[in-house]
Amino acid sequence: MICNSKSKVVCQFHVFVMLLSIFIRESLCYPKNSFLLTSTHSCIRGLQVQRAKGIHSYCQWFLCRRVPSRLNIQKRGVKSRKSQTRSQEDDWRKRNKTVLTYIAAAGVGMIGLSYAAVPLYRLYCQASGLGGTAVAGHNAEQVETMAPVKDRVLKITFNADTHASIQWNFRPQQSEIYVVPGETALAFYRAKNPTDKPVIGISTYNVVPFEAGQYFNKIQCFCFEEQRLNPKEEVDMPVFFYIDPEFDEDPRMARVDTITLSYTFFEAKEGQKLPLPGYSLTSQHS
Amino acid sequence: MSTAMNFSSKSFRPRAPDKGSFPLDHFGECKAFKEKFMRCLKDNSYDNSLCRLQSKEYLECRMDNQLMAKEPLEKLGFKDLLDKPSQENQVKP
Repeated sequence: MICNSKSKVVCQFHVFVMLLSIFIRESLCYPKNSFLLTSTHSCIRGLQVQRAKGIHSYCQWFLCRRVPSRLNIQKRGVKSRKSQTRSQEDDWRKRNKTVLTYIAAAGVGMIGLSYAAVPLYRLYCQASGLGGTAVAGHNAEQVETMAPVKDRVLKITFNADTHASIQWNFRPQQSEIYVVPGETALAFYRAKNPTDKPVIGISTYNVVPFEAGQYFNKIQCFCFEEQRLNPKEEVDMPVFFYIDPEFDEDPRMARVDTITLSYTFFEAKEGQKLPLPGYSLTSQHS
Repeated sequence: MSTAMNFSSKSFRPRAPDKGSFPLDHFGECKAFKEKFMRCLKDNSYDNSLCRLQSKEYLECRMDNQLMAKEPLEKLGFKDLLDKPSQENQVKP
């Protein structure tokens, strides 16, 4: 699942940032006995690129930009120069402290984020439906208890499509129907098989606008199951659905007045099983 | 499925129906009820709220002819249509 692997990535990222903050802290705080400096030294020695002394000084400059005098103290100091370096050192120390506090705060923030990431990502997955997680609020029991919202009339238009390879005549029996959220409604499609051979079709549906699709609940329909039509047979296909009453309370749906339900039929080979969206075949048979 | 490749907008995910799929009415056993329902819709300018009685009758026909799992009608959202006859019975005596 996408969601599970991403939470792992977040943890790994956090660990990386922690290491990075430790790295920077060490280089500023303990330049003399820095574990990292010695490790970089050994690394470079292994490469055998240049003379050791040149690399040593280059390395110091790169890592300990702010306190270069610590490791290569010049013994030929003049008194005025000493006081100057002392005030400079104080300055550097102050700057180091502020930088350190910022980095410490960032480190603590990263720890907090990594703990908060797990429930936050779960919420995000629920909201966006990534990885097939169920959208919160879709309750099958609510059909019994829901109350119709009488003042919000919605127009549902119907559309029927067939894939090029299937020769059925498939069309809706009503072009539109006016419903209110919270009320169950019935609609019909008609399919005719004009050929001389039995044809098995399987359908899927689409709801436009996409955001309204999460409020469009089908109680029973004819989708995702093989439907077999004998030669020259014509059948009525009902769709029993309702719009969730919470549709009326969603501010994004305030301007939505028309919802289009579109079915598309494809030809299915005998015994072909399509992957059904979160639906187990064993629970279907009445 | 949505073919638009923008990550920000939610794409549509088809969901399986709650109670599964209707078996096909090959013999047209409930065709009369369906015709009644369609006529009611045409007469009432396709307003579903006025034709709920006919849709209830169609589903009852399906249940009687083994074309649908038998379910108490309250579970299908017809609670208000069932309460009315009981109220009438109380008022009469």
